[in-house]
Amino acid sequence: MDEQLFRLSPAGPPRATVLFIPPLFEEANRVRRTLVLAMRALVAEEFAALLPDLPGQNESLVPLVEANLERWRSALADVARGVDGPLIVASLRGGCLIDHDAEAAAWWRLAPANGASLLRTLLRARVSADREAGIASSIEGLREAAKTGALLLAGNRLSPAMIAQLGDAEARAVEPLRTVTLGKNEDKIAGTPLWLRAEPGEDAAMARAIADDIIGWSRSCGVI
Amino acid sequence: MTDTVDANLRALLAGVLGLGEDRAAALTADSGLFGELPEFDSMAVATVLTEMEDRLGILIDDDEVEGEIFETYGNLLDFAERKVRG
Repeated sequence: MDEQLFRLSPAGPPRATVLFIPPLFEEANRVRRTLVLAMRALVAEEFAALLPDLPGQNESLVPLVEANLERWRSALADVARGVDGPLIVASLRGGCLIDHDAEAAAWWRLAPANGASLLRTLLRARVSADREAGIASSIEGLREAAKTGALLLAGNRLSPAMIAQLGDAEARAVEPLRTVTLGKNEDKIAGTPLWLRAEPGEDAAMARAIADDIIGWSRSCGVI
Repeated sequence: MTDTVDANLRALLAGVLGLGEDRAAALTADSGLFGELPEFDSMAVATVLTEMEDRLGILIDDDEVEGEIFETYGNLLDFAERKVRG
């Protein structure tokens, strides 16, 4: 099934296209506004920018329980194949776990998350919500149950395959790759971890810094 | 070491709860967290625990997480320092 693909393009031919791979689950909603600001900043510099919906996420009509990391990797590879001209893949957090099957001239990662940490947070949120509802559950019990059936974790119904893949997932080696984290020194982006924030916010300065860093990296790699 | 844990924990709460540096810096040992700050819901509790593990280099067994840890900033800091000392 075709998914929605949010695309921003400059008036003329783009110098290159940046394919953003958002964080996974709730974290994607928390950074979407800032990502769109970064996309606009890229378009002002004559780049095209894409933000695809993963199957089962955002506006997708696919039930999330039918999705898993392998399906997401392959969907992103399809999106990348549809791009004319040089492509830079820019992924955030859990998006870094599914960015390596897309063929690109360069990769850029912001604050990569490992799958085990993302899964542990989801399991903890479920245990915590269960406790408030007076239900006794445990992370170990949920992990066991996830081997044979889907689990509802913080509003996400995840299949056994998704949970198993997430538990093992780490960002893969790709080349050429620039990885940046949040902070104030070199190789850092100034800003706050919006993807962790309980209330969604936006950060225009961080969006600008993301766009500038991606443009600088494209230049270093000879993409532009 | 203690100062580092304190600074890390304030930065973490500032990020997760969107407190901003000023409100995070103004937290005292008696400042209420869960039940006091509307941003501190069960998803935020889960996020804080995982971020504490990643940033402080500790492992938290969820059986040892009691409700009172999140009652005040002082309780959370005590818990974090105990875990860091091992």
